[in-house]
Amino acid sequence: MQLYDPTSAGPERSLSRAAALAGLEGRTIGILENGKLNAVEMLGEVASLFVARHGCTVRAVYAKSNASAPAPAETLARAAAEVDFLITGLGD
Amino acid sequence: MPRRTNRLTERKARTMPLDVPRIHDVPDDLLAAIDYCYAQGWTDGLPVIPPVVERVGAMLAFEGRPPEAVICSHPATGLQLTVHAAAVNAVMAGCLPEYFPVLVAAFEAMDKPDFNFHGSTASTGGSAPLLIVSGSYADDIGMNADVNLFGPGNRANATIGRATRLILRNVFQMIPGISDKSTQGNPGKYSFCIAERARGNPWPLLCEAQGYPPGVSSVTAFAGGGFCNVENHGGSTPEEILGSVADAMANYGCITLGQSAVVLAPEHMRILADAGWTRQDAQSFLFVRARRSVDGMRSVGKYRQSEYDKQHDAEAHALVAPDFVHRGLSPDDILITMGGGDAGGHSCFIPSWSRGRGSLMQHKPIGVCIDCD
Repeated sequence: MQLYDPTSAGPERSLSRAAALAGLEGRTIGILENGKLNAVEMLGEVASLFVARHGCTVRAVYAKSNASAPAPAETLARAAAEVDFLITGLGD
Repeated sequence: MPRRTNRLTERKARTMPLDVPRIHDVPDDLLAAIDYCYAQGWTDGLPVIPPVVERVGAMLAFEGRPPEAVICSHPATGLQLTVHAAAVNAVMAGCLPEYFPVLVAAFEAMDKPDFNFHGSTASTGGSAPLLIVSGSYADDIGMNADVNLFGPGNRANATIGRATRLILRNVFQMIPGISDKSTQGNPGKYSFCIAERARGNPWPLLCEAQGYPPGVSSVTAFAGGGFCNVENHGGSTPEEILGSVADAMANYGCITLGQSAVVLAPEHMRILADAGWTRQDAQSFLFVRARRSVDGMRSVGKYRQSEYDKQHDAEAHALVAPDFVHRGLSPDDILITMGGGDAGGHSCFIPSWSRGRGSLMQHKPIGVCIDCD
């Protein structure tokens, strides 16, 4: 008996990580919040640790209107141009 | 039964995926093959029909595009549903070949960006895609729009809905606990597929209201968050019947800015029809009545100023009332149709998974392609 496999092997995608920052001291931070309850507060707390420990500056807070959809490309492009690193997260 | 493919225009195949069909050679033993499917992790927990090559071929005969054509893509992972993979999973679910165009159309609908296919399948909200088949094709394949509408017993309803889940699991790898993070899920995640009842329906069918040409059937996909029975055996006016529906829609556990699906029992629908109410009348009534006060929302910790502002901004619908949060943004956010058996004052409300615009219901014609890219 021959059965077809019902799963998908998936496409081969070339993914790579951004180069790591040489250091955190004095860097600018962006926050990407997803619109969920308390997201800004929680991410802000995380950012404050970087501010206190590494002298970072929170430069911008970006928002998604839909927590379960990817951030718009223009939002990510703007963030890439404006800050050194981005803090984001998803949870309930 | 005629093969229904490409009647209006030719479909264009999308990018061919890298994936190619793979074959497993197993012993000629049906029960062992079923166990093999379990062992591979290919099932929803129930036994499947082993996807033998011959049955998949019969399924493919009901689709005009080549097997490698892509029906639907998962933006987060890049995984793609081909016609072939859909056919394999349809066989496993127990579909007959003539059901296949419904399944294909359902995934074409879910492929529209506003359905937010990833979010609605991965979320803790536990959504299941409710499929509503409208038009003559439902009758052609023997779907149930009548007694025990959402219950078991009809092969087409059961297996089209089940094939949807198997595709989400096997092709898009929405595995419970890994990429499907449903807190509790809902029973519709096994199968959630119905036909709209045409017999005795006083309103235009959904496929007509959706603007499809005469004779073209449709499937509507709605990321449903569960099922709420609305019992009302005492009401005798549209206001009384829909008042109980609106109350279900506005319960604190359900009320959000999301969309709604309401399936009226024939007994309830007759009360509306006898009073001359149209679908639009009912939608407006429900939108006005399915609401909670700001203070009430605050009392359960669900009030959010940003959501209130979204509903009451400069583009707010004329029926939006100050100091209240309505379910949805406008009457059009409420899909209403008829289904179920003749006896009983039992309608139902199905809330959207989305608490806002995170997933919007979508529809597609069945077996034909209209204004394709």
